[in-house]
Amino acid sequence: MPRPESKMINFTIDGREVSAPEGAMLVDAAKHGDVEIPVFCYEPKLGQPVGACRMCLVEIEGIPKLQTGCSTPVRDGMVVYTETERVKVAQQSVVEFLLINHPLDCPVCDKGGECPLQDITFGWGGGISRFIEPKRHFVKPLELSPLIAIDRERCILCYRCVRFSQEISEDYQLVLLERGAHSYVSTFDGHPYVAPFSGNIVELCPVGALTSRPYRFRARPWDIEGAGSVCTLCPAQCNVTITVRDERALRVLARQNDEVDDGWLCDKGRFAYQSFHAEERITEPLIRDGGQLRPVTWERALEQAAGALKRAGANAAAIAGGQSTGEEGHLLARLMREGLGSPHLDSRRAGTLSLDAHRALGAPALQANVSDLEFAHAVLVLDTDPVNDASILDLRLRKGIRRRGLKLAVASPGPSSLDPSAALSIRFKPGAGAAFAAALSAALGASAELETLCGEAGVESAAVRELAELLRGPEPQQGADSELQPREVVILWGERLTAAPNAELGAGALLGIAEALDLANVEGAGMLEVPATANGRGLREAGVLPNAGPGLSQLQDAGRDSAAIAEGLAAGELSALYLLQCDPLRELADRALWERALAGASTVIAHASFLTDAINEHADVVFPAEAYPEKEGTLVHPDGRLQRLRPAIARPGSVRAGWHVIAELALRLGLDFDVLSGAMASRQLFEAVPFYSGLTLEEIGGRGVRWQEREAAAAFPAPASAPSGDGSFEEPADPGEAAGYRSVWDAPEVEHSPAFDFLFKTKELV
Amino acid sequence: MAAPAASPMLLFTDIDEPGLCTLEVYERRGGYESLRKALAMTPEEVLDQLKASGLRGRGGAGFAMGTKVSFLPKGSMDKYLVCNADESEPGTFKDRELMQKTPHMLIEGIVIASYAAGANCSFIYIRGEYVEQADALDAALHEAREAGYVGEDILGSGHSLSLVVHRGAGAYICGEETGLLDSLEGKRGNPRLKPPFPANQGLYQGPTLINNVETLSTVPAIIRISGEEYAKLGVETSTGTKLVSVSGHVQRPGNYEIELGIPSREIIYGLAGGPPEGRKVKCWFPGGSSSPVLTADDLDIPYDFNSLAAAKSMLGSGAVIVVDDSTPILDVALKVAKFYRHESCGKCTPCREGTNWTVKMLERIASGEATPMDLEIMASVQEHIIGNCLCVLGDAMAMPIGSMIAKFRDEFEEHIEAARMARGLNGSAGSDAALAAQGAFDEAPETHLAHHGTGDQAPGAHEGAPGTHRGGA
Amino acid sequence: MSDTPPKAEQATPDTTALKVEGWNPGDDVIEIVRSPDPGPGRATWRTFRETARGLLTTFGRFTETPVTVEYPEEKTPVYPRFRGRHKLHRFEDSGLEKCVGCSLCAAACPADCIRVVAAENTPENRVSAGERYAAVYEINLSRCIFCGYCEVACPFDAITMGHDYELSDYDRSDLIFTKEMLLAEPLERTPLRNEGE
Repeated sequence: MPRPESKMINFTIDGREVSAPEGAMLVDAAKHGDVEIPVFCYEPKLGQPVGACRMCLVEIEGIPKLQTGCSTPVRDGMVVYTETERVKVAQQSVVEFLLINHPLDCPVCDKGGECPLQDITFGWGGGISRFIEPKRHFVKPLELSPLIAIDRERCILCYRCVRFSQEISEDYQLVLLERGAHSYVSTFDGHPYVAPFSGNIVELCPVGALTSRPYRFRARPWDIEGAGSVCTLCPAQCNVTITVRDERALRVLARQNDEVDDGWLCDKGRFAYQSFHAEERITEPLIRDGGQLRPVTWERALEQAAGALKRAGANAAAIAGGQSTGEEGHLLARLMREGLGSPHLDSRRAGTLSLDAHRALGAPALQANVSDLEFAHAVLVLDTDPVNDASILDLRLRKGIRRRGLKLAVASPGPSSLDPSAALSIRFKPGAGAAFAAALSAALGASAELETLCGEAGVESAAVRELAELLRGPEPQQGADSELQPREVVILWGERLTAAPNAELGAGALLGIAEALDLANVEGAGMLEVPATANGRGLREAGVLPNAGPGLSQLQDAGRDSAAIAEGLAAGELSALYLLQCDPLRELADRALWERALAGASTVIAHASFLTDAINEHADVVFPAEAYPEKEGTLVHPDGRLQRLRPAIARPGSVRAGWHVIAELALRLGLDFDVLSGAMASRQLFEAVPFYSGLTLEEIGGRGVRWQEREAAAAFPAPASAPSGDGSFEEPADPGEAAGYRSVWDAPEVEHSPAFDFLFKTKELV
Repeated sequence: MAAPAASPMLLFTDIDEPGLCTLEVYERRGGYESLRKALAMTPEEVLDQLKASGLRGRGGAGFAMGTKVSFLPKGSMDKYLVCNADESEPGTFKDRELMQKTPHMLIEGIVIASYAAGANCSFIYIRGEYVEQADALDAALHEAREAGYVGEDILGSGHSLSLVVHRGAGAYICGEETGLLDSLEGKRGNPRLKPPFPANQGLYQGPTLINNVETLSTVPAIIRISGEEYAKLGVETSTGTKLVSVSGHVQRPGNYEIELGIPSREIIYGLAGGPPEGRKVKCWFPGGSSSPVLTADDLDIPYDFNSLAAAKSMLGSGAVIVVDDSTPILDVALKVAKFYRHESCGKCTPCREGTNWTVKMLERIASGEATPMDLEIMASVQEHIIGNCLCVLGDAMAMPIGSMIAKFRDEFEEHIEAARMARGLNGSAGSDAALAAQGAFDEAPETHLAHHGTGDQAPGAHEGAPGTHRGGA
Repeated sequence: MSDTPPKAEQATPDTTALKVEGWNPGDDVIEIVRSPDPGPGRATWRTFRETARGLLTTFGRFTETPVTVEYPEEKTPVYPRFRGRHKLHRFEDSGLEKCVGCSLCAAACPADCIRVVAAENTPENRVSAGERYAAVYEINLSRCIFCGYCEVACPFDAITMGHDYELSDYDRSDLIFTKEMLLAEPLERTPLRNEGE
């Protein structure tokens, strides 16, 4: 679908000629001329303006009444005044009206100091109030939800939160009750407003009516500093600003990046920060001593770990978890391959996928980006549930459907939160994603195998055909204008689709679908993978794979994947296991096998933040891991965007940087990585991966860079041969656990954040 | 005073005919003949007739109906016609009589208008309180459907129309056209931002024509006598006849059909018999409670759209409310303001807070806690409301209250003084009431905060703001 | 007092005098004393004149009471608006703290010496009158410049500048005053200077 284009036009504001994009609302257009028009209810992210607060009244030549700047699009030659006496009187009167029922309890209000109502009153208000009657009263403060407090006396009824609930997250929970001066925001029957994105209304509220409970009274705006970073709690990698006071993260706010998160943030990203400062967090190196983990010095822990790894040699194996940065993954791979000569290394949850399939699926031409999801003609959500796997994409899809006429199809084994908005929803058998994809590929290619594959996937072939038609779109009409827009289709698929034992089938099917829909050659079309872990793509590209080196390069001999590592450990073929921020019992498939594997391993070395079961019972050396606001390094967004993690808070206790620990270990194994800082680690990564070549941290900056859009992308290796995609469907042993499926809400960060205590009592979100 | 010259009757011709609400009687009286005549013409010809008639909307805004129809975009999209039967303006009861006594005329008008507008889907949004009228409409609609006047391929013309009677839940704001559309869509009845106007994006985002019951009921008469003939009635800018609902202090309140342009005195004194013996007209609302009041001096103004607008009032819905000299103006103002406070939807700031504030100030005047300075504040509050709101509800309160303060200032001041005397606050008018009110603030931080967070929300505990944000009274 | 006015008078000359004398040497003539006045009497006078004058003052004050303040046994009184060590206040009736922990004092402080960490009142633990209270309220008095901006900024009159000025200690950390210290009445009241004193 065509992206909105902006043509510049000229108009006059306060006597000055200003050029602004055509069709922009006056409030936005005025900013091009450095004129600020005050607003409360206007928020472009929320869709159409409502014109409720009347703060933005301006005078337009030729129109007798004052007009709302938030809803009047600018036109060429328009003459606008924002500082005439009439406008001033109107602005002052609106401020006066808003304040007559506002309690003015700024000293106790959390918003005080960063409050648009304060700022606008100061800038555009009259300075006095003539209202001496009693104010409106509500019981306050109340819990709107366990995470949000509501103070209805402060509310100025701007509708932002209600519009968010109704039109953005589409949970339809918040409404306005009563009318006139008695109106108030509430859920319809007063039940708690619990929803995956509820925290955004705190940020939207222009007064202190909605405040975050975990942040309640923690700090005032002049006590704090904002530090930009990237949330690593799920693959969506939303950009965030961390509010820091006294070296503690007190709050996490969304940092708008239209290409990543559109300015929203899920509740996990917003409220799980409390786990960084949890009592239970490991802040010192631990060593198992007499069956107990005891704190020791770094020196001793490193010696012990290095000794164990040296003993194990090529029998050591390593698994990197999704929160590790690309740098950590890269150094770990070097440690294993160069230092120990062991090829047993994995970061995927789903088992081995052939190198050719990795390269074919990762080809730059096939990659869609996040905003393509919004502007595509049709999107197929295949074997993933965005709200559970990469939450913020859920809002992006809803936006596409609501505002751009996107047609959404959902194919998943279980009910999806997007079903009500989808044009078509198809359920297949759990674990049969690959068979379904193959069936769709067959339907698109009119292959005869369709019926068999549908049988294996447990779906009606008619439904698959319908889906194929929806993706293909209407036949171009005869004689219609020749420059018909090519149909933009995006396939949003989950890593589970390429899980063992049907990895090749799934990958082949995806490539077949891409071929049939010509995704590689249509601008705005493509595929977007939702990896099972936050930095899944980055670790793969850094070479944390059993069968690929940095930049998906060919290896001499392939190692074991995670399942094979577990088997090797259980069978005694492997001896040491290095876990980089990964808890196999929680995160990987087949818990029983992993129990045996961990018990069978002679040494388990782990980077961990919390003493989960696996660490507590099996780890021999535990290095305290960093939380993401402490980290320095890069991540890769599922669409190939390299994003930079920057330290926002100090590391607690004696926690050391991940790259530092790995480099120290390597030194003890006789390997000098020559890495003395996070930036040096990044440089080594960029040098090692051909298609990152020439990147610098400065180039990545605060918004990230998609490597596909750089020249070096040409260095992406082409598959040696096209993946066949042959092979018949094989029932997975345990379809539910096949790819280590977990909801993003099932995370230690959630468990250790006091804000989320309510979840474990009511299970409302999980 | 002599009875007025017999005015031509278009809407009320047979209004007292028993059983007019049934199809049989209505057809015997020539009903649905206009529909046949209209369906024989092309939609453009019907539209030309409507334009030629100069018929202006009877709901309040007085927008030319033919022009409104022509604003609908051409094309084959779903278009809607909505009949606004949410007659909630205080003092207005003309549509009630029309719908109750001659529902078929409305249905006939809707079918003709939908033919002209090319709409195939139509709703009558009737206020919830009009139970009998809605029942009458339902019964009539059933008869019309049976007879083939509504439904698929009406009278073989190829024009189809589905017509639904939708009962509102009773809110003044749902008489505002966009609020009505929201309510009809099943949402909270809040006015929408304009533009886009309903003619482009109305019901379910489709082009929508919204007209008042009386406007649509006039359509069959226009087709019957032709637009040109209709335009000869009334005066140049206000053609045709109008139903006026006269109420208040008159001897014969009720609905009267008048030719637009007759002197207002003839309506109040001639038709309605004037105020009771020995009383004089103090003020009168020419077009429902939202029109600025006029005084006895204005009785000779011709009753038509432009003359009343020139007198800084408006014809509105044609509801004449007469107030005689036995009623204090404060009571009138308080009644009007309380109504609008209750009915404000709360969406936009000036209306929500302004109506609330006005009522509180009027109550203070009534209880003797006000000073003449409060009149200044009240007048300026009304000025700040007018023209700054999302819809016209705020203006609907501010205009009459503002006009009352302007025209009856002496009476307000006398009342303030008398009420203060009664409370023993006589003497230097002004400062001490304000001081007394200010006194409530002086105890501010302690009481204010003592009540925070304890759940004890005694009214008045918060009235003082902490800190220095406040100026004087 | 300058001698400009007489100069100004001279500057408006008598026109006739000008004519007669032509040039008035006026201020330009400086009399140079080349030696003291001769004679023994004059010398003695010159020797003891200043001593005598000093002794006159000394003996003149002989009858007055001493003004020395026996500090630290006795404290110097201060003026009522003297800005000494801060005090935090409670409501007299309820005993609740006036401070709600709004941190405006910290924002106003030019020396950045106030640290406030707020917390929420609960029905079981009610500390202040508002929703929030200051869980931590510290003033680093070794950094404070006693400007009184905190007092001005406070919307609840919870902090005022007191009269205590004895603020020396052996350890810098002891000069970080906590909320309890600021709330407590000083052990000894600083005397106030009376009007006209």
